[in-house]
Amino acid sequence: MGKVVGIDLGTTYSLVAYMDPATGRPRCIPGPYGTPLCPSVVSVDADGSISVGDPARRRLLTQPDRTIYSVKRLMGRGVADVQDELKLFPFHIDPGSQQVIRVRLGDRVFTPPEISAFILRELKSWAEDFFREPVDRAVITVPAYFNDAQRQATKDAGRLAGLEVLRLVNEPTAAALAYGLHEQQRGLVAVYDFGGGTFDISILKLISTGEGDIYQVLSTNGDTHLGGDDIDNALRSAEIEEIHRQQLPGFSSSQHAQVIRDAVITAKHELSLLDKTLVKFPAPEGGWYTREITREEFEQAIAPIIERTMVPVRLALADAHLKPTQIEEVVLVGGSTRIPLVRRRVEEHFGRPPHCELNPDEVVALGAAVQADILSSGVKNMLLLDVTPLSLGIETMGGVVAKIIPRNSTIPASAQELYTTGVDNQTGIDIHVLQGERELAKDCRSLARFQLKIPPAPAGMPRVEVKFLIDANGILQVHARDLHAGEARSIEVQPSYGLTDAEVEKMLEESIEYAEQDFAQRQLIEARTEADIILKAAAKSLADEGAAELAPEERRRIDAAISLLRAAVLGTDYKLIRARVDELNQATMHLAEILMNRVLHVAIEGRRLEEV
Amino acid sequence: MHTPAKTEAACWSCHAPHAGGHFCAACGKIQPLPRGADYFAFFGLSQKLWLDCAALERLFHQLSWKLHPDNFVRASEYERELSLERGSQLNDAYRTLRDPVARVEYLLAQAGMRKEGAAKQQAPPELLEEVFELNESLDELRAARRADGAEMGVLIERLEAEEKKFESRLCEVDEELKRVAAEWDAALDAGGEDSKRKELMVRMNDVLNRRSYIRNLVANVQKELAEAQ
Repeated sequence: MGKVVGIDLGTTYSLVAYMDPATGRPRCIPGPYGTPLCPSVVSVDADGSISVGDPARRRLLTQPDRTIYSVKRLMGRGVADVQDELKLFPFHIDPGSQQVIRVRLGDRVFTPPEISAFILRELKSWAEDFFREPVDRAVITVPAYFNDAQRQATKDAGRLAGLEVLRLVNEPTAAALAYGLHEQQRGLVAVYDFGGGTFDISILKLISTGEGDIYQVLSTNGDTHLGGDDIDNALRSAEIEEIHRQQLPGFSSSQHAQVIRDAVITAKHELSLLDKTLVKFPAPEGGWYTREITREEFEQAIAPIIERTMVPVRLALADAHLKPTQIEEVVLVGGSTRIPLVRRRVEEHFGRPPHCELNPDEVVALGAAVQADILSSGVKNMLLLDVTPLSLGIETMGGVVAKIIPRNSTIPASAQELYTTGVDNQTGIDIHVLQGERELAKDCRSLARFQLKIPPAPAGMPRVEVKFLIDANGILQVHARDLHAGEARSIEVQPSYGLTDAEVEKMLEESIEYAEQDFAQRQLIEARTEADIILKAAAKSLADEGAAELAPEERRRIDAAISLLRAAVLGTDYKLIRARVDELNQATMHLAEILMNRVLHVAIEGRRLEEV
Repeated sequence: MHTPAKTEAACWSCHAPHAGGHFCAACGKIQPLPRGADYFAFFGLSQKLWLDCAALERLFHQLSWKLHPDNFVRASEYERELSLERGSQLNDAYRTLRDPVARVEYLLAQAGMRKEGAAKQQAPPELLEEVFELNESLDELRAARRADGAEMGVLIERLEAEEKKFESRLCEVDEELKRVAAEWDAALDAGGEDSKRKELMVRMNDVLNRRSYIRNLVANVQKELAEAQ
């Protein structure tokens, strides 16, 4: 079995981390550019090749039609859900999209899980290059407030990337795990997680027991569409207004959207450290556009967005039956918590300074690595008890939702419902499962619809028990059982949003064309390159006059090793190629010595001649 | 003479006799959940309604260590299924039993004694007069809101006072539920006859119906007040 990692699949950045056995602490794995932050950007080149991360981010400016960022916002959502986003994000939604969005990148069309899978594959390859071993299992984090469809989409992405998803862990819970390990915290903890695209608040109770530490989530709340992106968009709109006011020549807000986005993001970052800075970008007709912005102006512009985070904070505390002052530790997670106003606002609400010792970008990935290690090693001294963020319900008469699993129930959680027929020989019962807090089905999130098949019988006779179960990943499972026959009944649950199993299978087959990024493939390429180098070196050595000094037996051995290696290179077994390379190295050892001696000899003789 | 109980089953894995419990005593494998398993029995508790919540929480944590699906990630598919079943039952049971009202609801539902009947819509007789006044105040408030009336402040104050009265009624009902629950526990201790228990269940059902009526009423008034302010 391969290695196990923890992955933070973020809106802006994604990271991969592992548990370092030497120190017993989690560590982030750096990518080829030395940083562990992989921009969650994917770009498709005209020749169909995919780039991910920094190279893709650079292409946001040059090839915006072929490049996508913040795809996490589209995970598990239908076209109708994202109309507001489309006004702010340059997503090119394929007109054929319905319940699953399809995004156009150049001349190709992808679903959000496929795009996320490219990011996961990239991180997988970072880890494989780091370990020099395959990675096949992962714990992936999701916002705590993600619904069933968003979670399922994330799990599908893992599968498409060739990863067995051991568990989906909620981001604030993962952060708490990393902090708990770091600080030995106990008691009531609030995790305020303000990332690039999502906001979560989780209230946890950390308990020491004889077996180890339990991280029990008491309540969680959030907004899956509230993050640094919203701050950027607010700043960008303000900037565009200003630019129009100044009538900057040659400027087009659609054409230069990305340039302005970059400029305001840079200014945002700088304003976390400085009192004022410049919004600066090359003007379309030469020179630079610059405008000074003070921290005060910045805070005024973003205050309404920060205030929106306080609504879920209050709701989470109320659900946990706690007052803000009862919270013993507050932990900040996510890049947006670097903003001084956010820190001040959180401190004001809880009446205590928040913790920010761990890097807010890395802490979620570190926690995921801890959980990945616990699940794969079987060594357990920590246990996460997480909750479902939204109530699960079923539609009843008049479109009203009957809640069967309340929000903030510890998962796994289940509920049974007994169904019978209303008319003679009725052969099916329609069941509609929803998630959300509202009273009416139309206001909740539809998870799935299915028909329970019933053998013909007089009305009221059939008794079918349906079990709705939310598993430890926060994903719905439905099982049915005929109480008369006592047998389980299989049911086809059609997800309202999201891919069916068959669709994921099909994508998995299609995704093989991207497999050159896979570990075995990369190893093969490297081994072939190595073989190529040694074959050329051997040919050169054999052509040297010194080769005449070889015994016939030795010469035969080298020739044999060369032909064996040449045969191996034609195959795809990188381990065999490496073995043959080693054999050729061995066989040519003496030849190399002979040649080296001759070189030395010539050098010495040369010197002597000079000396004479 | 000892005869083994008829209900005694065998472990699915080692076939040793299995008397219940979460794991096989012989091989330690997790066992399937019997159908209709009771939440009280899951924790090894009797059906008494008074529970030490701190002790229940400790029990919940102990069982979580053993039954949570995290423990079974590397086990066979069947064992993973069983841990999902038992793990979710553990959480369902704890969620229900730690809440004193849900605990009573559950006890009655298991015995087929939870009957909501028409009581949901009908005011309990002793509250009729107060409910009538409250509804009048609500109507006036709604009318004032439509008319954008100036008397809103006064009306809101009156309604708030009336709402407070019902909140204290709710406390009274909760106290009453506690008293009947204590009688139930005493009856269990005494090992009394079924008819006594049945009578107590009917009474508890009655209290629960009154409780949910008042609770709905209070929730509705609070909603109206929130909208008016």
